[in-house]
Amino acid sequence: MTSTSATGDGPVPRRPGLLRARLAEVLHLFDRPLTSYYVIFGSMMLLIALGLIMVLSSSSIDSLTETGSPYTLFRKQVISVVIGLPLMLVASRLPPRVYRVIAYPLMVVAVLGLVAVLFMGDSYATGAVRWINIGGLTIQPSEPAKLAFVIWGADLLARKEELNMLTEWRHLLVPLMPGVGVLTLLVLLGRDLGTSLVLMTAFLALLWVVGAPGRLFVGMLGLVALLVAIMVVVEPYRMDRLTSFIDPAADPGGTGYQAMHGRYALGSGGLLGVGIGASREKWQYLPHPESDFIFAIIGEELGLVGSLLVIGLFGLFGYAGIRVAQRVRDPFMRLAATALTAWIVVQALVNIGAVIGVLPITGIPLPLVSSGGSALVPTMFALGTLLSFAKREPGARQALAARGPGLPVRALSWLGLGSRKR
Amino acid sequence: MPRRGDPARRLSFTLLCLAFVMSLFAGRLVQIQGFDAQVYAKEAAQKRLQTNIIPATRGEITDAAGIPMAMSVERRTVFVDPALITAAQRGEVIARLSETLGVPANEVAAKVDAKPSRYQVVKRDVAPGTARQLMAYKLIGVNTELGYERVYPGGALASNLIGFAGADGKGLEGLEYAKDKVLAGRPGEQRMEYSRQGQQIPMSAAQRKEPVPGRDLRLTLNRDIQWKAQEALNRQVAKSRASSGSIVVMDPRTGHIVAMADAPTYDPNRPEISTAEQRRNGAVTRSFEPGSTNKVITTAAALEAGAVRPDTSFTVPYSLHRYGSLFHDSHGHPTRRMTVGGILATSSNTGTLQIAEKLGKDKLSAALHRFGFGTRPGTELPGETAGLLKNPKEWWGTQLYTISFGQGVSVNALQMASVYATIANKGVRVQPSIVAGTADAEGHFSPAPAPKRTKAISPRTAEQVSRMLEGATSVDGTAPKAKIDGYRVAGKTGTAQRINPACGCYRGGGYTASFVGYAPADDPELVVLVALHDPKRGSYYGGDVAAPVFSDVMSFGLKTLKVPPTGKKSPKIKLYP
Repeated sequence: MTSTSATGDGPVPRRPGLLRARLAEVLHLFDRPLTSYYVIFGSMMLLIALGLIMVLSSSSIDSLTETGSPYTLFRKQVISVVIGLPLMLVASRLPPRVYRVIAYPLMVVAVLGLVAVLFMGDSYATGAVRWINIGGLTIQPSEPAKLAFVIWGADLLARKEELNMLTEWRHLLVPLMPGVGVLTLLVLLGRDLGTSLVLMTAFLALLWVVGAPGRLFVGMLGLVALLVAIMVVVEPYRMDRLTSFIDPAADPGGTGYQAMHGRYALGSGGLLGVGIGASREKWQYLPHPESDFIFAIIGEELGLVGSLLVIGLFGLFGYAGIRVAQRVRDPFMRLAATALTAWIVVQALVNIGAVIGVLPITGIPLPLVSSGGSALVPTMFALGTLLSFAKREPGARQALAARGPGLPVRALSWLGLGSRKR
Repeated sequence: MPRRGDPARRLSFTLLCLAFVMSLFAGRLVQIQGFDAQVYAKEAAQKRLQTNIIPATRGEITDAAGIPMAMSVERRTVFVDPALITAAQRGEVIARLSETLGVPANEVAAKVDAKPSRYQVVKRDVAPGTARQLMAYKLIGVNTELGYERVYPGGALASNLIGFAGADGKGLEGLEYAKDKVLAGRPGEQRMEYSRQGQQIPMSAAQRKEPVPGRDLRLTLNRDIQWKAQEALNRQVAKSRASSGSIVVMDPRTGHIVAMADAPTYDPNRPEISTAEQRRNGAVTRSFEPGSTNKVITTAAALEAGAVRPDTSFTVPYSLHRYGSLFHDSHGHPTRRMTVGGILATSSNTGTLQIAEKLGKDKLSAALHRFGFGTRPGTELPGETAGLLKNPKEWWGTQLYTISFGQGVSVNALQMASVYATIANKGVRVQPSIVAGTADAEGHFSPAPAPKRTKAISPRTAEQVSRMLEGATSVDGTAPKAKIDGYRVAGKTGTAQRINPACGCYRGGGYTASFVGYAPADDPELVVLVALHDPKRGSYYGGDVAAPVFSDVMSFGLKTLKVPPTGKKSPKIKLYP
C-alpha cells in the first residue's frame, strides 16, 4: 500500500496565497477610478435594452387589439430612448455647478407642471390623474418633478453645509421639508401614490446622507405612517390593495387578480422561461403587462435567470451609485448621487416587490424597463447626472484623459473638423 | 442639536441594507419560480386551456345489402358571440344571417343583442354548404360548430327495431340504444390555449386527439321485404281494426331475420311526436298465447317420442270432457276418425289433446324448451320477453291439454317464427339474429359470431310434420288463403283468446289471429309469421285475417329473393284413415 502511492497522484496542495492574490486582482478591478462610471453606464444600458425588448413583447397584444398595430407602444418607447440618449449624454457632460444653477428654476417648473396637471390633467381611464397633453405629446410632470426635487434638495443642503448652517434642526428641515411637502401634496391630489413614495424616499435619502440624527428618522417614519393611514382612509381602494397584498388568493378574480396573475406569470416562467415573445399572461390575463407588471413578463419569458438578472443589474447600479457618493468630495454631488440612486433603486424595489408579492401594489413603473417616455426620459437624464458625478471621482478625470480621444472625436479629426489642440 | 452622523458610515450601512433586501427578493423569486413554479404554472394553464370536443361520426345502420337505414349527416350549428359584434357591424351581421339561414331578422337581432353573452345559437342543423356560404362573408363574431344529425332515410321503415338517437347523438331506443357502444365511436378533443378575450394563442401547443368514428352496423334485414311486410301489415291492421300486429320474416337456414315489422309504428326522424306504444317493437316485446300454432310442437314431440305415428288415428269428437272441463273445436263437426296429420291440418283441439295425453306433460314441456319457449330469443334487440312457460310440476289439472293447443303458455312473435324455422330447417334450431356484423369506416366487414345451432327434433320428424303443415294450406285445411300459386307452402293458423288485463280472464279480451309458415315447403328459404292482436272488424280467425297477409308477404319475398318454385307437387297426405 505504501509503495503504490509513491508516484504521488494525490491532490494538489492548496495554495491559499495564490487564491488570495487572484481574489485581490478581481477586487482591484473594482477599485479603479472609473468603476462606478462603467458599472452605472453598463447596467443602465442593459436595462434599457432589455426594457425595449420586453416592452415590445409585453405590449404587442394589447397594442394590436387597441390600435391595430403591435408596435404602437414599442415605437413610443424607441422614440423616448432616442430622445433620452442625447439628453443623458449632455447631462453626463454638464459640470456639477450647472446643476446647482438650474436647481431652483427646475423646482419652479416642476411645481407649475404639477399644478397644471390638477387643472388640465387627464386620467386616461386609470385611477390616477397624472398626464397632461401638450401639443399632442402626453407628459407626466410628476416624473421630472422627482429629478427637480433631488437636485434642488441636494443643492439646498449642500449650500447650508458650505455655510456651516446645519448645526440647527431648523436648517435641516426648512425649506427642504416644505418643498417636499408641496410636491407630495400636489402629486397626491393627482392620486399618484407611487411618485409621492419616491419623493419621500429621496427626501429621507438626503437627510440620511447629510447626517441627520436618528431621532429625526423615527419622527419621519411616524409621519409617513400617519400619511399612509390618512390616504387609505380617504381612498378605500388602497385598503383593498393592502389587504389583497397579504392574501391575493382570497379574491383572485377581484382585488387579488393582478397579483395572482403576476405570480402565474413568474411561475409559468420557471427556471429558464418560456422564451422571448412566448408569454401567455400578456394575452389579456395580466393587466398593465408593459408597465407596472413588466417584471412578471420578464420572469415568464426569461425565467428565474432573467428575473434574477434584472435584480442583479439594479443591485449593481445601486452599488455603483452609492460608490459615487462615497468617493466624491463635494457635498452637493454626494447628496445628489445618493438621492438619485435611492430614487431609482427604491422605485425598482417597490415595483418588483409588488410583483413578487412582498409589497402592496402601488402602481409604480419599473425604472428604465417599463413602457412610458415621461418616466424614461427624466430617469435617463438623472443617470446622465450621476455619470457626470462619477467622472468627478478622484482620479477619474485622469483615467478618462489617458483613454485618449473617443471615437467621435477621432472621426471628426480625420475629417479635419476636430480641434487639433487638446 | 445632537451630533450629526458620518456620511461615509451611513453610505456603507445603506449598501449593506441594499444587499440584504436584494437577497430577500432573490430568495422570494427562487421560491416563486423554483419551488412553487409548478403550482402557479398549472393554475395559470387551467385558466387559458380549453378543451373542445370533436364529435365522432356515428356509424350507419344498414340492411344486409349495405343500404343505409340510419345515417349521420354533417351539420353546422351557427352561433354568434355578441361581445365581438360592434355596433357598426351589427346591421350587416343581422342581415347576412337572416338572409342566408332564413331566420327572421328580429330573431337574429335578439341573439346578436343578447348581453352579457359569448354564445348564442342562431340555428342548428345547418347544411355544410350554407354554413360555408355564411363563413365566406367573414363576419366577426359569427362562427359555426361541427355536429351531426341522425337521419333515417326510410322514415318509419323498421323504426320499431332500429329505434332512434337523440339530438346529442346518443342512442335512445331500439338497436340505436342497444348497440350504442359500437355505433357511437369515441369523440376526439382539441386542447388549445386561449387569450382572455377568446382568441387562440398562436404559438401555444395545441393538442389534438382525433375522433374515432363509430362502426357501421349491418343488419340481416332485406329492405324491400321489410317495406312490403310493413305495408301489408299496416293495411291489414287498419282493415281489421286490430290494436297491434307484428310480422317476422326469417331465413330458416341461417336464423337471420329478413324483416320485422310492427304496427303501430312511427317516424324516427320525429320521435317527439310519437307515443310509447307506437315505438314499441312488439315482435319481441309483446308476448301472447299462441293458440293452434303451438299444436305443431305437440305433434312433433309425440312423433319424435314415438307416442304416435303420422297415420295413427284417433276418434275426434266436436267436444270432449276432461277433469270436469269441456274442450271443443272451433267449428262444429260430427265425430269422426282422423290421422295425426288430419288433426293438425284441421287444427282439432280434441284431437290434439288426445295426442298430448299419449305424450305426457314432461315430454311436452321439454319439447317446448327445445323449440325456444321460456327463453329470450337473444337477438340483442332491447326489451325481449321470454314469454311464459311454467315448470311442468306446476301445471294444474287440465293445463297439459290447454298448453298442447297453445293456451296457458305465451311467446313473442319471433319465438313462434323460430319454431317453424326449426321445422323448416330439418329440426335444427338456429338462434334468430338481427345483426349480421359491423364494418369500420374503410368498409372492412367483421361478421357477427355464428348463431347457436341446436337439434330440436330429428330430420325425419321434421319432414313428417312439414308434410302435415302443407295439409293446412290445402283446400281441406284451415288456411287455404295462405296458398301461393306455384309454390308448396307449409303453415299453420292460430286463433287464440287474449287475456283481458281488466279481469285476468279471457272474457272480453278479444283474439290474436296468426299464421306462420314457410315456403317452398320442400326446400324452405323463408319463414313468415303474421300476428294480429285484437282484430275488431270482420273475422278474427287466423286463416281469414292473417293467412292472406302471409301469402302476400311470402310471395313478394320469394320473388324478391328470386326463389324458383321447386316444381314438385305436394304429396297427398291422409287426413282421414
